[in-house]
Amino acid sequence: MQHVANLSASRAEPAPAAVAVEGVSHVYDGREGKVPALEDISMTVGAGRFVVIVGPSGCGKTSLLMMMAGLRRQTEGAILCAGRPILDPDPDRVGVVFQEASLFPWLTALDNIEFPLALRRAPREERRRRATEMLNLVGLQGFGARYPHELSGGMKQRVSIARGLVQDPPVLLMDEPFAALDEQTRMTMGHELLRIWSQTGKTVVFITHSLTEAVYLADEVLVMSARPGRIIDRILITLPRPRTYEMMATDVFGRLRDRIWQQIRKAA
Amino acid sequence: MTRPAPATVRWLILLALLVFWELMPRTGLIPELFLPSMTSTLRVLVADWREYAEALMVTLYEVGFAMLIACGFGILAGALVGGLALLRNLLLPVFSSLYAVPIVILYPIFTAWFGIGSESKILFAGVYGFFPVMLSTAAGIRTIDSQLLLAARSMGATLPQQIVRVIIPASIPTVLTGLRLGGALTIIGVVVSEMLTSAAGIGYLVTRYRTILDSAHVFGAILMILLMSILFDLAARAIERRTLTWQTAGRREKETREARPATPVAAPAA
Repeated sequence: MQHVANLSASRAEPAPAAVAVEGVSHVYDGREGKVPALEDISMTVGAGRFVVIVGPSGCGKTSLLMMMAGLRRQTEGAILCAGRPILDPDPDRVGVVFQEASLFPWLTALDNIEFPLALRRAPREERRRRATEMLNLVGLQGFGARYPHELSGGMKQRVSIARGLVQDPPVLLMDEPFAALDEQTRMTMGHELLRIWSQTGKTVVFITHSLTEAVYLADEVLVMSARPGRIIDRILITLPRPRTYEMMATDVFGRLRDRIWQQIRKAA
Repeated sequence: MTRPAPATVRWLILLALLVFWELMPRTGLIPELFLPSMTSTLRVLVADWREYAEALMVTLYEVGFAMLIACGFGILAGALVGGLALLRNLLLPVFSSLYAVPIVILYPIFTAWFGIGSESKILFAGVYGFFPVMLSTAAGIRTIDSQLLLAARSMGATLPQQIVRVIIPASIPTVLTGLRLGGALTIIGVVVSEMLTSAAGIGYLVTRYRTILDSAHVFGAILMILLMSILFDLAARAIERRTLTWQTAGRREKETREARPATPVAAPAA
């Protein structure tokens, strides 16, 4: 725990970062010995920011996100959420939305959203109330009694988002949440996510392969290199908010997307 | 002409079979020794109902206990083998190949150990039904979507919570299929073992009346076994349907939606 002590001394910034990654490296045991997956990654995500991580396939961005969620342990370095190191999953601090809608097929939408609260044995009424609130937030009023297979792909991801937010964590981690959706649904969902984000004021760390999605959603885009993953560029997206579909046709949008693409090409 | 519904056709086939069963022996095309007519079979069933009822009670008692053994140990062993990699690697290949062995060859050993009473039937049929239950339970646990467990962990689920709230509900469909299969096998196991060596039960009636060439009584016993198996299967399916509403709820809805006549495409815009 030595590095943790060092960290708290060095963290003297005015606004506390919602997520702070400090010197994280990761090595895993592959078939041909040790494989370095992540190399000395440091980044901070300010509270309320929307940060998108892009990078070539297999660069370790999902691993990094899993570490931020406390689902995987890095070999070196520390990750702090809300000022404290995250060593195990803590849904009070971090909500996670996965790529495939990882909803429990035997539970209704509402029961799925309640699941994290049920784990902590929250009172039934409180659970219902919170879950219904979240269901409305993601725009699924009236769909609470549906089972996941009765919902479309986009609706399933809405439920996943609601589930990630139900314990009101300050940080929401999203691992390619819209990758399995068709283009149109994906655009709508991006727009919806921005609405939910601005309504709730959460800090979002979002992984995607889509450059358009990255520019459209982000305050800043972090570009990772191929394995071992490092952060090779940080691009501030200066487009005004609220973002609109029309912005996608502008020169600024195109230039930003182009810059990310150049970086990824270099990185791969 | 509209095509009749599949259910109607099924009933018609059944009816045709019954008519065939009645007519063939009556017209003398098939001797009554080979195929007693339906009415003569039903007649002996009614006349000797007490004998059949007693035999049925014995068989049901044996089937009940055999199912308890098959399901109880099957689920327990399946959960252990499916959940623990070490046990799985050690035991699963053994169990899988044992499943292919005709276990009925072991029945003489069971009678040697446990006598020709109900005990040997219960144990033999229990072992017989154990394998599908155990194998499908193991498969059900092994094939759980790891994303679901990851999601549960991200929400702070402890290991016991993961087992109770994710692993068990996720493996219920495959376990139920195994129970239906295993239950059917225990019925077979009990009846077969009764036919081989015993002094009571429906299977025993089949063997006894066959040796004295009383075909009507043999068919009466066969009919009862048939009914027992069908009733078990219907009950098992009903339980599956009730438990797995989350799998079927939407499908039913989808079917009704698709069954609705399509709205005319070129509807007048007025």
